[in-house]
Amino acid sequence: MSWQQSPHIRTFKLFALVVAICLASFYFISSVLIPVIISFTLYALFQPAVYYLVRHNVNHSLSILIVLVLLVITSGVMIAFALPALIEQVSLLQAKLPQIARQLEQLLTFYGAKLSERIGTDIDVSEVTLSILSKTSSLGQAALINVSNGLVSFVIVFILVPFLTYYLLKDFKNARNEMMNWLPNSSFELGWLIYYNVSTRLQAYTHGVMLQSLIMATFCSIGFLAIGLDIPILMGAIAGLFNLVPYIGPVISIVLSLLVGAAMTPFDADILYLSVAVIVSAQIFDNLVVIPSVVANSVNLHPVQAILGIIIFGSLFGTVGIILAVPAIVSGKIVFNNIYADMANASLKATP
Amino acid sequence: MANIFWSNIFRKGESELQVITQLWQETPLFKDIPERHTASLCAKMHLRDFKAGEVIFNQGDQGAGAILVLDGKVRVSAQTAELAVLENGDFFGEIALAAPERRTADATAVSVSRLVYFLKQDLEEWLEHEPRLGTQFLMNLSATLAQRLYEANQLIARQA
Repeated sequence: MSWQQSPHIRTFKLFALVVAICLASFYFISSVLIPVIISFTLYALFQPAVYYLVRHNVNHSLSILIVLVLLVITSGVMIAFALPALIEQVSLLQAKLPQIARQLEQLLTFYGAKLSERIGTDIDVSEVTLSILSKTSSLGQAALINVSNGLVSFVIVFILVPFLTYYLLKDFKNARNEMMNWLPNSSFELGWLIYYNVSTRLQAYTHGVMLQSLIMATFCSIGFLAIGLDIPILMGAIAGLFNLVPYIGPVISIVLSLLVGAAMTPFDADILYLSVAVIVSAQIFDNLVVIPSVVANSVNLHPVQAILGIIIFGSLFGTVGIILAVPAIVSGKIVFNNIYADMANASLKATP
Repeated sequence: MANIFWSNIFRKGESELQVITQLWQETPLFKDIPERHTASLCAKMHLRDFKAGEVIFNQGDQGAGAILVLDGKVRVSAQTAELAVLENGDFFGEIALAAPERRTADATAVSVSRLVYFLKQDLEEWLEHEPRLGTQFLMNLSATLAQRLYEANQLIARQA
């Protein structure tokens, strides 16, 4: 058997083809990628509710409409209640930004002087502060531009997502069956097997991660409220959102809560320790209780694989890449392992 | 190709879906499951056409579901030994519905054959829609697998 015929090489070739097709598809739908991702997430989340209504003899299309109307009403009510509070907290954070900068400078001066004493070299604190502040301000400007672009995107998302979700809930399975019928007989079962494994894992992952984020946001909001940190609900919501990014997300949450804690007047170092304690206890609760019971088995990735994946996907595809890194790697592993198992068996059969 | 003289003369006017439903309904897998529910499930199954001599699956392949012979003949073999020749209405590969096991034999189309795939994906989606009937189906599946195991044990005992 030549090296080109080895199952490893054949698997790599086929896997590369699958990846290329996926990337090309993402490229073609890049302008509507975010609405598509949100719609698929909503599809995964609300499909059981539609099944529940269908089981109780409600017509399929009507079931979808009921679920979507309930979703729109619930989101509307939540936005109506939570948005004013969130806007107030965001404006509070904006007002505090100069103070955070001053506090940061004071802290750096204080610890910089101590560090200089220890290591015996001079550290130009103002230069470090300036560098951090200029980076922060450029990030702020980028964020503002993003917000103005985001408003346009928000309208597109708001219009597109309900339509896409409706048609996904209504017709996705028929479209999927049609597409799977294009497979040749030799790959028909393998194709379905890969689809079954990937969809089962991704659906479990989506349900688990959404619930995990909600639990983390609630836990951190209550914790921040209890320790008296400023803007506790917003910080809790941010911690819940960043929890979507494994390993790196909690670190970002800690940094943000430290910045908000540092900007509080009068300055209280205990708030900083307590903020870290809230996020660390949230992570312990997450790892000991939430992950084993909610996300268990849906992600079977080594931490190094996950971190490297997040960094690589983040550098290639930005924020979307960071969020999609873990499910993409999990799916990639399933596809590769299934193709390899098939190739290895075929090669075993071909060997006289 | 279906035998023009013999095929479907008693099922004049029946649609392919009705034929598929009736064939599955006659198997032990769909015992005690009302025909209209079987029909709605059969509407989601997958038809595939095979040429004479075409491999359906090999021993050791990963299986995605059970297969019903709608038309044609299928040879089931292990190594060189022929285990069975399956015809219209026969089904095989049902282990894949219960467990992620590899195929235990080779299956090849002897003549031009039309097969109906009932995939694990279809079963799981049906279980979400119809959990009570799904439970009955799983009981039937267990009984079928137990029967196959019993027959295999009998065969081994006779050969020993």
